Amino acid sequence: MGTIATLALFEMKVHIRNRWVLVFAFVFGFTAVAIAAFGLATAGVAGFQGFARTTASLLNLALYVIPLVSLMMGTMSFAGEKNAGELLFVQPIARESLVWGKLLGLMLSIAIATGSGFGLAGMIIAARVGSAGVTRYLLFVGHALLLALAFLALGILVAIASARKPRAFGYALFLWFFFVLFYDLLVIGLTFLVPEPIANRLVFLSLFGNPVDLVRVSGFMTLDNPTIFGAAGVMLVKFFGGEGWAHVALIVGTILWGILPAWLAQGLLRRQDI
Amino acid sequence: MVLLMGIGGSAEAKTLVVRPQGPLASVREAIRQADAGDTIRIEAGVYGGNLRLEKPLTLEGVGKPLILGEGSGSVITVLADGCTIRGMVIERSGRVLVEEDSGILVKSSRNRIEENEIRDVLYGIYLYAAHDNLIRGNRIRGLAELEFGERGNGIHIWNSSGNRIIANTISHMRDGLYLQNASRSVIRENHAFHLRYGLHYMFSDDNVIEENRFFDNMVGAAIMYSRRIRLRRNIFFRNRGFSSYGLLFQDCDDCVIEGNLIADNAVGIFMEALRRSVFRRNLITTNDVAVYLFSSASENVFTENSFVRNVSLLRVIGRGTTTRWSWQGVGNYWDAYEGFDADGDGIGDVPFRLQDLFERLEGNHPRLRVYLSSAAAEALAFAEKAFPIIPGPQEWDPAPLRKPRALWPSDALEIERIPFSRWAFLAPMAMVGLSVGLFLWVGRR
Repeated sequence: MGTIATLALFEMKVHIRNRWVLVFAFVFGFTAVAIAAFGLATAGVAGFQGFARTTASLLNLALYVIPLVSLMMGTMSFAGEKNAGELLFVQPIARESLVWGKLLGLMLSIAIATGSGFGLAGMIIAARVGSAGVTRYLLFVGHALLLALAFLALGILVAIASARKPRAFGYALFLWFFFVLFYDLLVIGLTFLVPEPIANRLVFLSLFGNPVDLVRVSGFMTLDNPTIFGAAGVMLVKFFGGEGWAHVALIVGTILWGILPAWLAQGLLRRQDI
Repeated sequence: MVLLMGIGGSAEAKTLVVRPQGPLASVREAIRQADAGDTIRIEAGVYGGNLRLEKPLTLEGVGKPLILGEGSGSVITVLADGCTIRGMVIERSGRVLVEEDSGILVKSSRNRIEENEIRDVLYGIYLYAAHDNLIRGNRIRGLAELEFGERGNGIHIWNSSGNRIIANTISHMRDGLYLQNASRSVIRENHAFHLRYGLHYMFSDDNVIEENRFFDNMVGAAIMYSRRIRLRRNIFFRNRGFSSYGLLFQDCDDCVIEGNLIADNAVGIFMEALRRSVFRRNLITTNDVAVYLFSSASENVFTENSFVRNVSLLRVIGRGTTTRWSWQGVGNYWDAYEGFDADGDGIGDVPFRLQDLFERLEGNHPRLRVYLSSAAAEALAFAEKAFPIIPGPQEWDPAPLRKPRALWPSDALEIERIPFSRWAFLAPMAMVGLSVGLFLWVGRR
């Protein structure tokens, strides 16, 4: 455990020193604050709906940006740094600790970068709509961090699995496109080929194949209500056996997306001849 | 012992005063003693029900006297024409739906029921084949502990015509106002909330519904099987749930829906088999879906409405519709409209398309709503814009307005404002503090 903490701290230091965290914090914070400020200024909606509408835009921002940045940072931490990597490998450190430690460090780095952005945006929202949905907002930030975890793990896996390291970034970029766009298009297309009752079940099960979908659906349900999905919301809640269970299933699904790729990655790394 | 006081120059009409300390301490006894046209003044206190008015009398409460029913049947039953019941508190009716157990059961005409508080009753005021009554300023609160199906309606109008229902407040009943075979009614300035349907309407023609507020119900107003209904300046607000609608039409003809505010509902307007009706100058805002339209709705017109900040504008179920989104070259105001107005006549020069490809698919495949605001949905919409070859029914507004013309300002929703809370502010502030702190701490080590 001590090794993992040390590695995590080391990883954070690397990303803070090389300004990744700072740059990302500025870009993300600026966008989030702009969405919160202008979203509310033009919306003119007070109360809970004002909150729900503004945070829905923040959710969208998170769904595009966080997977991309997480994938890049995850990939870079194993494929980017030549000398630092070799230095680490010659240390008396178990290779699985290396993966978990780096994952934790990266996760905290992203938490730092997004935390200030989400925090500032949250302050603007709170000033405008009052206490409507503070807990919901905190849960939403939690969702965003789980999304980061999933894509960091995927990035690490891609980096370790690629034979030639520079290629890893290409794969990572492909993964981003795949999960953010192609996957949903594929499923939507597929649902038109199968009979109606199967199609509904297919849609709900397909959510688990894509962490972006899991976080998007769970995030909307947190920030607004399952009613935002209309009839599909009824089916979804029924499919999982209640609103609470739907949340649990989607969140557990997302966490698994964080753990499984990392577990695969450390398995690969242990067997790898460096 | 009866106190005699001539009023209003009418020689015969007298006023009987009922007060707990006597001499006349029973309302029932006073009714027995009174002659047609008399007034019974009831002072503050608790009196036993149930009461039956079989001659035209005025029951005038002073200081909110309470009439406590027997817990079965109706607390007050009005059988004679021309009675007045004013300023009373009425509680504890029976609980048998088929017996019409009510606070006030009216089976006669030309009565006035005003300024009463009716609580702990199955039905509030039940008009049973009763015509030309005035029901004004009553507060009716039902049995919140019962399921919707077990409760009665706030004001139930059956087989009655020409009634005026004005400025009543109704909550926690099944339906707020229920009208069946109730033509020529006027429903104005009522507030109906925490109900199944705020207004529920069957087979009632030629009614006017104005300046009412229907909020926090499962359905704001459900208008069914009726003709020539005029809805003006009502507010349908925050009716939310899986099958919630602000304003629902089912099999209606020739209605006019003008100047209403339809805001923050799961679905703003739902129309199935609504025909030849006009929606004009309404503000339809912040609904999850603004309009839910079945193919069976035909020849309706939307003109000069404002559609602002709805998550989705339109769902069409079935094949296309004959709904027109403009009338004589005047369309609606759409906040999503991106066109221009080169000739400066206030009408956009480019038609406004109400749905993209994804939204059209969603109409007949509701499961796709799960992909709400996903990149895939955006991509489908973009693909259709870039390659406009995908066929299918389309809904257009050929003459979108550049400026809103609805009766309400577009920010009319500033109804509720949640007070500023220190805690709401502290949580995100802590988030910033933690991030910056961690950044500095790790950076220094």
